[in-house]
Amino acid sequence: MSTEESLTLDKRLALVGFSKDAEPFIVVDTDKCNHCESKPCLYICPAEVYAWKDKLNYNTEGCMETGACLIVCHKIGAGAISWKYPSGGKGVAFKLG
Amino acid sequence: MSLEGFEVAVVGAGPAGSAAAITLAREGVQVLLVERGTFPGSKNVFGGRIYSYALKKLLGDSWKDAPVERFVRKEGITFMTSDNAFSVEFESKDAEGSFTAKRAKFDKWLAEEAEKAGASLITESRVDDLIMDGSRVRGIVAGQDKIPTDAVIACDGTTTGLARRAGLTSMLEPNQISMGVKDVIELPSEKIEERLGLEPGQGAAHVFIGACSGGLRGGGFLYTNQDSLALGMVVGGDDVSSHKTQSYSFMEKLRQHPKVQRFIKGGKTVEYDAHMIPEAGPKMLSRPYTDGMLVAGDAAGHLLNNGYTFRGVDMAIQAGVAAAQTVLEARKKKDYSANSLKTFERKLHEDPALKDMYTFHRVPAYLRNRRLYTVYPELVCSAAEAVYRVDGTGKIKISKQLRLQAKGRVSIFTIIRDLIGGARTF
Repeated sequence: MSTEESLTLDKRLALVGFSKDAEPFIVVDTDKCNHCESKPCLYICPAEVYAWKDKLNYNTEGCMETGACLIVCHKIGAGAISWKYPSGGKGVAFKLG
Repeated sequence: MSLEGFEVAVVGAGPAGSAAAITLAREGVQVLLVERGTFPGSKNVFGGRIYSYALKKLLGDSWKDAPVERFVRKEGITFMTSDNAFSVEFESKDAEGSFTAKRAKFDKWLAEEAEKAGASLITESRVDDLIMDGSRVRGIVAGQDKIPTDAVIACDGTTTGLARRAGLTSMLEPNQISMGVKDVIELPSEKIEERLGLEPGQGAAHVFIGACSGGLRGGGFLYTNQDSLALGMVVGGDDVSSHKTQSYSFMEKLRQHPKVQRFIKGGKTVEYDAHMIPEAGPKMLSRPYTDGMLVAGDAAGHLLNNGYTFRGVDMAIQAGVAAAQTVLEARKKKDYSANSLKTFERKLHEDPALKDMYTFHRVPAYLRNRRLYTVYPELVCSAAEAVYRVDGTGKIKISKQLRLQAKGRVSIFTIIRDLIGGARTF
């Protein structure tokens, strides 16, 4: 991979190790998001867990567990996100962090 | 492993947790060190550098077994516009003052030191709750397991889950956090040394301020590992949200700068990392202790970004040790009440390393000044451009050139005010 060129987020996320947690550790009350003007989760998340297409969609599989979405959602956004860490041993695993 | 009979539960096997566990286990305390990752360090991300003093103090000569990537001998800062760069470099004669590392190796090694000292480590275990008896913490709840202990030391990181549970903080504000993202880019060690101007084995740390953060509070960093570069961006949580710019997009802004391009050319990106950084300092908790519990490390804001040095791991180790010492005193008195544990706060203030957090307490507010990321880097670069340009059109003196460049960008009074503010802050 030649990396002087720009790297897309998808390419970046493909470099991160994840172990899927069967239990949902992020739950969003997406009805609330329909009335959210700022939608800060879309911007703070470094892994694009949140995306807007007519309504809020979220995919926890690429979650890097920073926890920042919870803060911006409750302080700037609609207070729709419930967040906890994935179960022990599940979720993201960094090797070079 | 039986989960009974532990006197102290330390939650989180990062630097604060492992340092606390080492300190307690050495005194014969039955310590359980609980980590949610598959191994200590697997959930942890930082910029790249550890200041050695804390480790030396904690481990004596065994600190030399630490998985060091490179000892940092060269410090650099670059003020950048989108196509200019004004850099300053400092070469340190201190051979072992700080080093770069990878957390998956470093945290794992430090937790192994805790085990050697006699602590019991369990991994893949998420602490969901505290055992509460009124306002008194009496242990932890991890999945199906209720683990009663005399005291808990919460080193559970930026998200401060346990401190919130115990009522020591509500949620942080977006302007009290930053988002850090980083690419780890593989390069042969000779290339790293050639490009950064380093002797074999030596390392560099570099900070970038200006165009890379698109005018938002933030900046870039570069640390040299043995065979890779850790290149990253940190941006303010409030700025990213209100400017509707994706946090990771700044990584590309940084990478595309000509100066950065020369560093990373031909490299192969092998991992992408992210981490939330608390920026409020120790005041992010109303207090770092309650009945039966102490909080240390990121979870208690025990870190320091004063604009030119970024310290997390050393502060976490010092705070972890201070928490453990507080527990040791409480154990002698057989009193783990908040009143007994409050000496922790005095230790934090008196510790020669940790008191830097209080000395520089005004820094976060100062660093919210946008001019630091827009006007001033531009000013430095355009003035340098003018100073170094010889094209036969006639030259003016540097002081006059600076005034000329500032014109229309920022008033002299504002500059003076920012300078005085800076002098009072740093």
